Amino acid sequence: MPPVVVVRDLAKTYRVSERQEGLGATLRSIFDRTYRDVPAVAGISFEIEAGEVVGFLGPNGAGKTTTLKMLSGLLHPTAGAARVLGHVPWERAHAYLRLMTLLMGNRTQLVWDIPAADSLRVLQEIYRIDDVTYRRVLSDLVELLELGPLLHKPVRQLSLGERMKVEFAAGLIHSPAVAFLDEPTIGLDVTMQVRIRQFIREHNRRSGATILLTSHYMDDIVALCKRVLVIHHGRLLYDGGLADLAERMAPHKLIAATLHDSAAGTDLSRYGTIVGNEAGRVTLRVSRAEAPEVTARLVHDLGEGLADLSLQDPPIEEVIDRVFSGEALPT
Amino acid sequence: MRYLRLWRLFALTELQFELAYRVNFVLGFVEMFLVVGTSIAAVLVLFSHTTALNGWSLDQMLVLLGVYYLIQGVVNLVLTPSFERLMEHVRLGTLDFLLLKPVNAQFLVSTRHLRVVRGMDLLLGVAVLLVGLSRMDDQLGLGAAFLFVLTLGLGLVAVYAMLLALVTLSFWFVRVENLLAIFWAFTDAGRFPVDIYPGWLRLTLSTVVPIGIAVTAPAEAVVGSLTVGTFALLAAGTAVAFGFAAWFWRRGLRSYTGASA
Repeated sequence: MPPVVVVRDLAKTYRVSERQEGLGATLRSIFDRTYRDVPAVAGISFEIEAGEVVGFLGPNGAGKTTTLKMLSGLLHPTAGAARVLGHVPWERAHAYLRLMTLLMGNRTQLVWDIPAADSLRVLQEIYRIDDVTYRRVLSDLVELLELGPLLHKPVRQLSLGERMKVEFAAGLIHSPAVAFLDEPTIGLDVTMQVRIRQFIREHNRRSGATILLTSHYMDDIVALCKRVLVIHHGRLLYDGGLADLAERMAPHKLIAATLHDSAAGTDLSRYGTIVGNEAGRVTLRVSRAEAPEVTARLVHDLGEGLADLSLQDPPIEEVIDRVFSGEALPT
Repeated sequence: MRYLRLWRLFALTELQFELAYRVNFVLGFVEMFLVVGTSIAAVLVLFSHTTALNGWSLDQMLVLLGVYYLIQGVVNLVLTPSFERLMEHVRLGTLDFLLLKPVNAQFLVSTRHLRVVRGMDLLLGVAVLLVGLSRMDDQLGLGAAFLFVLTLGLGLVAVYAMLLALVTLSFWFVRVENLLAIFWAFTDAGRFPVDIYPGWLRLTLSTVVPIGIAVTAPAEAVVGSLTVGTFALLAAGTAVAFGFAAWFWRRGLRSYTGASA
């Protein structure tokens, strides 16, 4: 089976008109506009296979949403090419639109004043879903999302979390083969985030839909995606497994040593940089290459004084932070 | 056919919503009766001083008023609510969702929302029209009836086109409510025959704000005073306006989605 998403050197540069402050400058700008080119996406390439759940990581303004908008067909790229399910997205062929969905955590496609059930009926007609399929898909969604009575309340009366669940129902009612999710858990409390995550995973398992999602919450990515794309300043920094990300991007490991009372207070700073020390548990940062040797030395030198020792990768958040702040670059 | 089915569903959905707010619904009716009632009263008062207004008799004026409310009814029923939402969508960025539906986007934004209670204008318009017709001496011929329907349709399309073009401006300027307010201010003038106005206003009401000609032409068709010139102007103007509006809409969309950048 060919990849569902194929992206080649995709780039998008926004032209923004520059305007000085003040009334005079504003008036002048009406006749004599100066433009500045802002590259949002600067040539990225990747492929996504059918059924994959891929996480799109990057700080604000990295180009995640712009890429999602190009792939869903809302934006025309400045350069490069993309195919999703064989379609050029920005041609917005109805055949393509029927197969995809775009969900945005901070925007709603539901009509505020009416119950979601009515909006869903309209969507059924728009996507020309026959009654049998519609009822089956809807009852699946109702069960998975625990929608129950939510569908019959006006959307304005729903809480943010409830609204997001209903939003998912509206976005997936036509059983899209590809789903672009832009910050689907933004602003939700932890419990609701977990629920939405469970839903996305279960939906992917049941429907086999290909999912590309962006999130600020590392937990979303860790829970859902085996593979991540890291984008920064419009460029793709990393494309691969989540587990390998730490290895490639973090040049160091963490050693946590718990000491017995007999050895408490021993200065461990000669083994590596101490990054944590609480209740007899010392955390050391050592370079990846030296980690095995330092571990051996610790065991040898401390002997009986050592109660516990573990070797860990730094938390993924930290790795990502370092990448985005320019401290670590892929090797 | 598919689009008719869709539109029926839009209407049903919105009707349910409006019925949920019954007081509002009833008040809407009352308001309509007051508005139409006062404007009929104004015409009656006018005609207590004179028997003809620039050649238009009272009965003919009633026909004209009927056409006016009929057109206003369609505008208020479908176009105003839909276009108001469109401007909101542009402002909030939720237009994205509409553009990603496998349906003609222009159709969707023009018809998605209705204010059913405003359809009362339409019914009252028809009622006033029928009263006016029944009081006229001559029977309405088949030819005149056909011309009436034709010019009414053309007039509606012309008004729709100009509204769409105005609302499309929101792609660039985001807030265009004030422009619309100017448009509405002119439409009020449409309740009188366009030929009673001085040249510049007649021109405005026939072109930029085509409500004047859109209302007058069908009324003239019924009373038998429609000239070939007026009809040709309406037909050609409508074709040009619709073509322009559809082109302008697509141009605006391209700007919205950044195709030109």
